[in-house]
Amino acid sequence: MRREILKTLMLASLVTTVAGCAVNETATVTVNNDGTTQQIIESKSGTLSSDLTIADVKTGYVGDLLKTQVTIKNDSRHDLSFEYKFKWLDKNGFEVAIDGRPWTPLTITPYESKTVQGVAPNPSVNSFKILVQD
Amino acid sequence: MMKFMNIFAVILAGLLLTACSSQKIQYGDATAVETTTTGFGSTDLQSIAAKMVDDLISFPPIVQMTANRRPVVFVDKIKNKTTEHIDTESITDTIQTKLLQSGKFRFVDMTAVKAIQEQMQFQMDSGMVDPNKAAAFGKQTGAEFMLYGNMSSITKRNNGVQDVYYKFTLKMVNLESGIMEWAGEKEIRKTGEKTFMSM
Repeated sequence: MRREILKTLMLASLVTTVAGCAVNETATVTVNNDGTTQQIIESKSGTLSSDLTIADVKTGYVGDLLKTQVTIKNDSRHDLSFEYKFKWLDKNGFEVAIDGRPWTPLTITPYESKTVQGVAPNPSVNSFKILVQD
Repeated sequence: MMKFMNIFAVILAGLLLTACSSQKIQYGDATAVETTTTGFGSTDLQSIAAKMVDDLISFPPIVQMTANRRPVVFVDKIKNKTTEHIDTESITDTIQTKLLQSGKFRFVDMTAVKAIQEQMQFQMDSGMVDPNKAAAFGKQTGAEFMLYGNMSSITKRNNGVQDVYYKFTLKMVNLESGIMEWAGEKEIRKTGEKTFMSM
């Protein structure tokens, strides 16, 4: 009995140590000044590029501020939980308001799509990136 | 021999467990998702501020109003109606900073009134400041709008599961007419479950 408890304890501690490490991956979509969009998916393990797609990117202006709506679709048969973040860039490619937006958690059910939106922090922004990490 | 093996196993398990709880200090991403407890945290603060600012600066009548001028606003307190101690001034500080940096609004800082008054008194009465260059009394701009709001929560617990719901409401009222020009809301739901390891 004591050996069983010891074995369980050892296994549990091993699992906890291994589960502490997680792999991050990033997908990037850039919208250019002329209205065309450029999608770059950077994925190390392939999970995001195979299960998650940026289905639609819409941009517009509210006054002089860039507003964007991005539709993210889950193509897999299981729930996907990940985090996303917007990065804003000015016409020279400089990032505006660095760390101005937090990573936001999002869960999408199988074959479902969700729309996320953001408004640029100031009028100098004319393009953006959306980063997705699991 | 058996006893020796048991002691060895306990030491090994202890070492593996302490590997998780040893003192290791490192810098992290301030904008990363924080899920240490179900209590109010940095992710909640940042997501509330981002949502409020996005809502306010993209609301059509506000867009129209701020197209050619930068209205002056003052920030009142956010009433904390939750059971937690939450620094609501920190939330309004972040919102104020983001609004100011958007170039759409200007603010009068009511928290600095006493310091401003003392400095102006010094400029006027000390005899050390050139009267032509001293800031004159009675020339400050009055705020046109006031930002204020509430923060409330509903917490429920059952069989080791805790559910916390936060609701943050921010309103902007025209001081002269008393008309509420805009209101925004952000809801947050967090669920915490006690697992085997944390019991």
